[in-house]
Amino acid sequence: MNNAFDNHAKTAWCPGCGNFGILDALKEALEQLALSPRQVVLVSGIGQAAKIPHYLNSNVFNGLHGRSLPVAFAVKSVNPGLTVIAESGDGCMYGEGGNHLLHAIRRNPDITVLVHDNQVYGLTKGQASPTSEDGFVTKTQPQGSLSKAFNPMSFAISQNTGFVARGFSGDKEGLIKILREAILWKGLSLVDILQPCVTFNTVNTFGWYKKRVYTLDGHYDSTNRIGAFEKSLEWGERIPLGVIYRHEHPTFQDKIRDTFGVDNLVYQGRDSHLVLANEWSRFR
Amino acid sequence: MVDYSIKIGGEAGQGVQTVADSLSRIFLRSGLQVFTIQDYQSRIRGGHSFTQIRLSDAPLCAMRKEVDMLVCLDSATCRIHAGEVSERGLVLGALDQSDPSYSRSVISLDFAAIAKEAGNPIYANIVAVGAVLGILGFGINLMEEYLSEVFRKKGDQVIRENNNALRKGFQRAQELYGQALLPDIQQNRDHSSVLLNGNDALGLGVVLAGCTFYSAYPMTPSSGVLNFVAGRAKEYGILVEQAEDEIAAVNMAVGASYCGARAMTGTSGGGFCLMTEGLGLAAMTETPLVILNAQRPGPSTGLPTRTSQGDLEFVIHASHDEFPRFVLAPGEPREAMNAVIRAFNLTERFQVPVILLSDQYLADTEWTYPDLQVDEKADSPHTVLAVQGYRRYVPTENGVSPRALPGSGPGLVIADSDEHDEWGHITEDLTIRLSQQEKRMRKIQFMKSAMRSPRCLEGEDVTLIGWGSTYGVLYEVRNNLREKGMRAGLVHFTDLYPMATETVELARNLPNPVVVEGNYLGQFARLLERETGRAFPRRVNAFNGLPFFVEELEMRIKEILS
Ligand SMILES: Cc1ncc(C[n+]2csc(CCOP(=O)(O)OP(=O)(O)O)c2C)c(N)n1
Ligand code: SF4
Repeated sequence: MNNAFDNHAKTAWCPGCGNFGILDALKEALEQLALSPRQVVLVSGIGQAAKIPHYLNSNVFNGLHGRSLPVAFAVKSVNPGLTVIAESGDGCMYGEGGNHLLHAIRRNPDITVLVHDNQVYGLTKGQASPTSEDGFVTKTQPQGSLSKAFNPMSFAISQNTGFVARGFSGDKEGLIKILREAILWKGLSLVDILQPCVTFNTVNTFGWYKKRVYTLDGHYDSTNRIGAFEKSLEWGERIPLGVIYRHEHPTFQDKIRDTFGVDNLVYQGRDSHLVLANEWSRFR
Repeated sequence: MVDYSIKIGGEAGQGVQTVADSLSRIFLRSGLQVFTIQDYQSRIRGGHSFTQIRLSDAPLCAMRKEVDMLVCLDSATCRIHAGEVSERGLVLGALDQSDPSYSRSVISLDFAAIAKEAGNPIYANIVAVGAVLGILGFGINLMEEYLSEVFRKKGDQVIRENNNALRKGFQRAQELYGQALLPDIQQNRDHSSVLLNGNDALGLGVVLAGCTFYSAYPMTPSSGVLNFVAGRAKEYGILVEQAEDEIAAVNMAVGASYCGARAMTGTSGGGFCLMTEGLGLAAMTETPLVILNAQRPGPSTGLPTRTSQGDLEFVIHASHDEFPRFVLAPGEPREAMNAVIRAFNLTERFQVPVILLSDQYLADTEWTYPDLQVDEKADSPHTVLAVQGYRRYVPTENGVSPRALPGSGPGLVIADSDEHDEWGHITEDLTIRLSQQEKRMRKIQFMKSAMRSPRCLEGEDVTLIGWGSTYGVLYEVRNNLREKGMRAGLVHFTDLYPMATETVELARNLPNPVVVEGNYLGQFARLLERETGRAFPRRVNAFNGLPFFVEELEMRIKEILS
């Protein structure tokens, strides 16, 4: 089938990398939502995962390491008509960009945040990442990582993020479903996507994940925050996939509209005579 | 000609600014020219702060060191500043006449006690205003009008109490002093003049330029601009976002601009340090961006509330590798307002970042202008529609590629901070690298054509050279030197970088140059040396955090010439 988001670009990823599954699922989800490439802006940082916008047909802002969220926030604020997806690796989003994630959640812009979580730094050749397990051995951490792994799901729920989900790049159908929901979600949605790195992470392999992941079924209540928090702590022998938490609240775009009465910040010109007439008496 | 200076000092939190603001408005509305500077410490209460007001019936553009009236809201003010009071000067406040540290005539008035009599000691600063007006021989009506404007929202009772305190101060001072100090001053009601400080002027420029997105993290002395724009955000449809840090602020501005907002961010030196990678991002993605750097002394957090011109070489080189940028440094508030509009036009036209350099001195200094006219006009958007197959970075003769906004047409808009091809896609093809880097660098030649020449006033014996906020004081010093028979000239730069060929030629030929600037190394002198190949050995530098005062600068220039 012809997908509007195919751009037939050659990727710079290693053969067998988990990024391919995410790319396929994302193209499929966008197509299924009947979005047009000109409506979509993909924003990313730097890393192997962050190259993804170049591999599908859409508008792209591929910025700095860790800084996709300030850009994505601004893009959506200026033109709310665009569908904005910010995408990067776990190092980019939770390491260099951790502070921005925290504050993007506070703002709740209507954007989708996808994290390709391979529990390692790929592009810089295999250092530990914020989600690497305690004791993870690399060239930079030859004695094993001395820090605890960051838990993005618990973190996001603790901050009352509107939509918190986990996907797996080896489960294409499940991932497409999650991505569609995440993109349709009004407000910030965070999807942490388990993505094996076949080159630098020999611990958390396809097999390792396959053995552990399971999909949350219809009995699971994703609107119960305490229950969701408990679910988010489940990691190890069993790893849940799906929407772990959801909670609707006003988006930043709603607030801009309600507070400032503006819908769009694209520059059109401003009447300087009017400004001067308003301002003149204030300086007398 | 009348030329009178009043200094009001006290602890932070005592209302020094209220006294100064009220007095300067009254002087302004009486048709006088007013010039004010502020000095404060990095604290909210206590310490020592002052505002100095100079008034005249002729235009003013700088501050003299000498004070004609010292208004002391606390006793420390007198101790710190008594030495600056002129021969004919007065000291005013709850002071002990017999204190040997004051050699000038002291008018002992306990503002707080009088305020208490009038109803409430919190009106002490209004009493002080009344007292100053009484001594100078000003009418009280304008002040009453002003108070009713200021307190309109607080209701009649507050206005009445304030007026009462004002009148008490006025009468008590007149009784004690018994004459009008400035009887010669023509007091006309003036309805057109405005009093504008640098930060408000920059803020006005932001609004006039059509800015729709301002992101910043607070840092003195740039916060005034953030506050100004935030105060007008709703009125003019500007999103003002307090970012989580300067890194976010600059990245937000770049993202907003990519999408078609007129976007700007503002900070001070340390914050600018954090923004340098984002500056490179704007350059690499060729996204329009205006950054204000309101300088203060450093390194590191330095002197938060004091002034400096120490970031020139930094901003010219900030961020790694090479790329073109504009650096503008306005010399006075009104020029600052116009410079912001110009900065937005330049960044759109050339798709390179524009850095505006101001400093604490410019930020907090108020100038009088006959009206609020603007010289610059904001360009209409310089964008094209994204056609099918749109190439964001198509090479052109002058280096500027047509810019489209995402969603504007069937074509896609692709921007990348990595090296990229004509479409914007990431590449490691080194021939493409060459052509893209050449395309970006080609803009420099083209940019020079947009640079304006410095303001030039000729002179043979000495040419004072300056940039940015030192304009006013250099202007007055130059005039003073001429009155004393020296053929002094002045060349003042607002457009610093890149330097137009004619400007370089001009600088090469200036007679007897002395470069005056607020840093240790003589950064502008060094820039001139690099551009012109000529040495500029005579320099006057200040790096104590304070602005140049007229008498001091004049003395230092004479010293260096002798
Ligand atoms: C400011 C900055 N610091 C460091 C780097 C180098 N760098 C590039 S990608 C990367 C880490 C990538 O890891 P991750 O985000 O997990 O993505 P992956 O490559 O694994 O997909 C680093 C440290 C950079 N580009 N910029
Ligand atoms: S290094 Fe790892 S994450 Fe990066 S492309 Fe190769 S396999 Fe994928």
